[in-house]
Amino acid sequence: MLRLLDRLEEVMIGTLIAGATLLIFVSVVHRYSLGIIVDMYSYARAHDIAWAAPALRSTFMSVKSINLVWAQELCIYMFVWMAKFGAAYGVRTGIHVGIDVLINRLPPERRKIMILFGLACGAFFTGVIAVLGANFVHHMYYASSISPDLEIQMWIVYLAVPTGSALMCFRFLQVAFAFARTGELPHHDHGHVDGIEDDADIEAVEAAPVTPDDTGIATGSDRLPKDR
Amino acid sequence: MDALLIFVGLIALMLTGMPISIALGLTVLTFLFTMTQVPIDTVALKLFTGIEKFEIMAIPFFILAGNFLTHGGVARRMINFATAMVGHWHGGLGLGGVIACALFAAVSGSSPATVVAIGSVILPAMVKQGFPKQFGAGVITTSGALGILIPPSIVMVMYAVATSGMQAVGPDGQPVSSASVGELFMAGVVPGLMLAGFLAFTTWNRARRFGYPRLPKASLRERWEAFRKAAWGLILIVIVIGGIYTGIFTPTEAAAMSAVYAFVIAVFVYKDMKLRDVPRVLLSSASMSAMLLYIITNAVLFSFLMTHENIPQALGNWMVETGLPWWGFLIVVNILLLAAGNFMEPSSIVLIMAPILFPVAVRLGIDPVHFGIMIVVNMEVGMCHPPVGLNLYVASGITKMGITELTVAVWPWLLTMLVFLVLVTYVPWISLALPHALGM
Repeated sequence: MLRLLDRLEEVMIGTLIAGATLLIFVSVVHRYSLGIIVDMYSYARAHDIAWAAPALRSTFMSVKSINLVWAQELCIYMFVWMAKFGAAYGVRTGIHVGIDVLINRLPPERRKIMILFGLACGAFFTGVIAVLGANFVHHMYYASSISPDLEIQMWIVYLAVPTGSALMCFRFLQVAFAFARTGELPHHDHGHVDGIEDDADIEAVEAAPVTPDDTGIATGSDRLPKDR
Repeated sequence: MDALLIFVGLIALMLTGMPISIALGLTVLTFLFTMTQVPIDTVALKLFTGIEKFEIMAIPFFILAGNFLTHGGVARRMINFATAMVGHWHGGLGLGGVIACALFAAVSGSSPATVVAIGSVILPAMVKQGFPKQFGAGVITTSGALGILIPPSIVMVMYAVATSGMQAVGPDGQPVSSASVGELFMAGVVPGLMLAGFLAFTTWNRARRFGYPRLPKASLRERWEAFRKAAWGLILIVIVIGGIYTGIFTPTEAAAMSAVYAFVIAVFVYKDMKLRDVPRVLLSSASMSAMLLYIITNAVLFSFLMTHENIPQALGNWMVETGLPWWGFLIVVNILLLAAGNFMEPSSIVLIMAPILFPVAVRLGIDPVHFGIMIVVNMEVGMCHPPVGLNLYVASGITKMGITELTVAVWPWLLTMLVFLVLVTYVPWISLALPHALGM
C-alpha cells in the first residue's frame, strides 16, 4: 500500500514536469508556425505559385483553429501540483535543505532531540496548512469561481494545497518515526557525485551510466528510511 | 520591535536544523496567529498564489535542461572544444576547464551543476596528466560558480521573482520598477565574461609559475572537428540568449525550449543517454524544482509578512536618516550577504534578503539591475567557501578531497573573486553597459 503511494507520487511528479515542458514547447512552436505559414503564403502569392497558395491557406486555417491560450495557465497549475507533491517526495528523500552546521556539533543525544523537534515542527506546519487549505477549498467550492482561460472550477486547482500538505505531513511523521526507531535519516547528499571512484580515470567517468539519483543542482544519492 | 521578534524567531528556528522553508512558514504562522488580525485564510491563498507566476516556471525548466545537458555528453564535447582552443597555453587543461565552465554556464542556470558537468570529466584527466589535485579542484570549484552569473541563471530568476511588484521609490520620490528576468540575464553577460577572464588569468599565472604541463597545440583541423562536435551544445547558447534578447521567447519559454532541445540532443544526437534513463532525470529534476518552489512559496509568505509590517520601508527611512551613503550601504550589504553565505544556500538568501534590501537600495539610488548582479556575485563567493559552499561539496565528491584541504586549494581563485566582487559593487557600468546599449 505504501509502496503504491510512493510509486504514484514519483510517476505523478515526473509526468507533470514532462507534460508541462512539452506543453510550452508545443505552444511556442504553434505561435511561430502561424507566422511562417503566412510568410510562405505571401511568397507563393507574389511568385504566382498557384498550387501552393490554397494548400497553405487551408493549413493556416487548421493551425489557427487550434487555440492554445490556455497553455500557460495549465502549465502553472501543473507546476503547482508538481511542487506540492514533489515537496512531499522531497521529505521522504531528505532533499529539503536546512542549516545543520550547528546541530551536527551537538552530542548525539541532544542532536537526536533537535532533529525530532525539527521533524515535528515540519509535521505541525504542514498539518496546519492542510487544515487551512481544506477550509479554503471548502469556501471556494461554494463560491464556484472558475479559472480565466481553462474555465475549470478553481477549487479543483486549489485542492493541491490541502492534499499536498497532508501528504507532506504524513511523510514528516513517517520520517520522524523511522528516525526515532532506527536513528537513520533520509539524507540527500548534495556533494555526492555518482560514477566517481577513488581510482577514477577519464574513461570510467565517460562510460558511467546516467547517474540515477541525481537531483537538479547536483548528483547525489538518497538513503531512504528502511521501513518502506 | 516586531521586526526584531520576527527575525529572532526565524533565526532560532533555522538553527534547529529544520528545513529553511518550514522555518519561514512557521515564523509567519506563529506571528500571524498571535500578533495580528490578518485573516488566517489569506495564508492558504498566499501558499497558492506565491508560485502562480509564469516567470517562476523558468526554474524547473532550467533545472530539467541542465540535467539533460550534464548527463547528455554536452559538457564533455564543450571541454574538448575548449582544450583544443587554449590547451597549448600555460595551464593547459586547467585553462580549458575555465573556458568550458564559462561555455557550460551559458546553457546551465546552476553552479553546482556546472561543477558536476565539467569537473567530473576534467578533474580525473588533469590528475592523470600530472596536475596536483589541489590545482584542478581550485580551478573547477570557482569556475563552476560562473553558472549563476552567466545567463541563464536560476538565482537571477529568484531575484526577479522576489522583488517583482515591490513598491519602491527612488531618491527623487519617483517609483522605480524592479528588474525583469530578461534585463538581469543581459546584465550578467559582461560581468560573467570578465570573471571568466580573471579566473583564467589566475590559472594561467599559477600554472606558469609552477610549470604545470601543457597540451600539444591542436591543429586547425582538430579544432574544427572539436567545434563541429560541440556545436549542438553551443547552438543552445544562441537559442537562449538570442531568443530572449530578440523577444522571440520569454525567459520561461526559452527555458522550456532549451529543456526540449537538450533532451533531443542528449538522447537522439549524442546518444549518451538512453531513453530509459529519462524518467530518472525527470524525477530528480522534479524533486529538486519542488524543493526550490517550496522555499519560494514560504519566502513569499514571509515577505508578505514583512511588507504587512512595513519593515522594508521602515528600514529604508532609517537608512536615509542615518545618512549612510550608497557606497556605505553596499559595503554593509556585501558583508551581510557574505555572512549569510556561511549558513544558507543562495536561493534562500536571495528570497529572504532581496525583498528587504531592495527598497532600501532603490531609495539610495542604486539601479535594481546592478543590485541584482551584485547579489549574484556575492552568492557565487558563498558557494565556494565552507561551511555550506555547495560547489566545494560537489568538488569534494569528485576529487575525494576533504573540505579543509579543498578550502586551502581554492583560496587563490577565491581571492580573485573577491577582487572582482569589489569591482562589480563599485563600478555599476560593468553590469549596466550591455542592457543599456540594448535599450533595456
